[in-house]
Amino acid sequence: MAHAAELGRRELRRPLWSVRPAVLLLLPAGLFLVVFFLVPYLNMVRMSFLTKAQGAAFTNVMTLENYLRVLGDAFYWRVIGRTFWLAGLTTVFTVLLGYPLAYAIARASGPRRPILLMLLLAPLLVGAVVRSYGWMILLGRVGLINQMLRALGWREAELMYNTLGVLIGLVHVYLPFMVLAVAGALEQIQADVELAARSLGASPWRTFWRVTWPLSLPGVFSGGILVFVLALSAYVIPILLGGNNVLVMPMLVVQMLLDAFNWPLGSAMAMVLFGLACAVLWAYVKVMNRALRWIPR
Amino acid sequence: MNANLRQLGFFGVVVALYVFLLAPIAIVVIAAFNAGEYLRFPPEGLSLRWFGRFLGSEPFVRAFWFSLKLASMVTVLSTLLGGAAAFYVVRHAGRSRDLLQLFFVAPLQLPAILTGIALLIFFYSLGLGTRGMAGLLIGHTVVSIPYVFLMVGAVLLRFDRTLEEAARSLGASAWTSFRRVTLPLIRGGVISGALFAFITSFDQFPVSLLLVSVGNTTLPIQLFDYLRFSFDPTAAAASTVSVAMSVAVVWLIDRLVGLEQVTWGGPR
Repeated sequence: MAHAAELGRRELRRPLWSVRPAVLLLLPAGLFLVVFFLVPYLNMVRMSFLTKAQGAAFTNVMTLENYLRVLGDAFYWRVIGRTFWLAGLTTVFTVLLGYPLAYAIARASGPRRPILLMLLLAPLLVGAVVRSYGWMILLGRVGLINQMLRALGWREAELMYNTLGVLIGLVHVYLPFMVLAVAGALEQIQADVELAARSLGASPWRTFWRVTWPLSLPGVFSGGILVFVLALSAYVIPILLGGNNVLVMPMLVVQMLLDAFNWPLGSAMAMVLFGLACAVLWAYVKVMNRALRWIPR
Repeated sequence: MNANLRQLGFFGVVVALYVFLLAPIAIVVIAAFNAGEYLRFPPEGLSLRWFGRFLGSEPFVRAFWFSLKLASMVTVLSTLLGGAAAFYVVRHAGRSRDLLQLFFVAPLQLPAILTGIALLIFFYSLGLGTRGMAGLLIGHTVVSIPYVFLMVGAVLLRFDRTLEEAARSLGASAWTSFRRVTLPLIRGGVISGALFAFITSFDQFPVSLLLVSVGNTTLPIQLFDYLRFSFDPTAAAASTVSVAMSVAVVWLIDRLVGLEQVTWGGPR
């Protein structure tokens, strides 16, 4: 009590200006992000409502034209559909492949654990271009897998420059994020809970489906959100592994900005993708919160 | 099913998944050291000729040095900005703390390609364009600040402030106590944050894609442009160099701080 009073008195004695210097720590980064992050985003939103002009990039005439053009064109909807479909498939496959990995990491003990974790994180430190290139060497027409198929006397397979190639690349690049999220949730589960189920006579299989899996769902869902958003905005992988055969929204947006110099339309396309992503995630979170209501948190 | 058999099966699945994760990267490195025009099994012998091609290729070498210079500048800038902000948010922010935290981590939450697009339009709207290095420096710093912020914030949260008070009460000035007590104790977070910022910049693709200009091309962009038209092993040599940079950074973190010290703070 006396200590608190002492502290209070010290606060009172401190002149006003001495509080100020602390703000100097905040200001540089704060201003930097306001000017080069917040304002550019707001500017992009504004840009999406402006008009493309002859001879200039844009004029300050407000319009909904850009949005109407994107939303009214069946071509864009097909590309948007493909983008979401690929992101959804990527999410599903990262769950299927990531769960066993997460389980192995969460249950590993002793010196094995840091090694497993290291091997999982190592690919994250290698850029997406390099990793896509690795897949190009493996999946290409004269790639290693096709060489193997030919050596075995089989027909060569079309593994790249199609949806399959893009999907393999996306799953590969985003798998570690899912594993980290699921492993985090699995580690929260106390071993007693599983032991209790086993000692009450449940088979390992039943214990997993009725105890472990439901308790790990929050991790699966948060990992799912992360992977879905990352996969929606993927650009390198669809280009390198899809050639020009798998058109996704980020490719169109970049083309519109860098090749066609149509910033209003490009911004509107980016906003539509972003808005739809938010809508999907909102619905997803709603549904999942309902599904997870029974989990004590 | 037999319990041992089941464990063996699970072990096999885990090994297969790790092969899936690591094979493409290993393949790139193998291709770089392979003598042939393309990777064949069995390999056609060891050779450094593709590294020679890489070193002889002016665009690749220029892009490499440019990336290195850019990443170094981004590291310094984002460590200073992000570190100072973490100090304020952990120690001085009152009710605004959650909001500030959200704000400083935001560049990590939004797709980097969107940030690149927003910056491109912003620079052109101001009439600056994207000539020179400034645009890239700004863009990379924006996406690197969250890493420094999170890592420095994490060590600050665990920091025992009585140590500073002890130094102060023994007569150390605020600056001395910061330099001699605080800084050595938060060193781990600062170094890992800085090295993460370095890798974020050195491997950056989406932001660079929109902000590069003629004569200012980063290594990932140069590699990407190259791969669109050919994939001879010169690209593998360039990739191996960039993989080696990442390995060096991880090795540095381990030597300087210890990898188990690397933690994330903030909202997860």
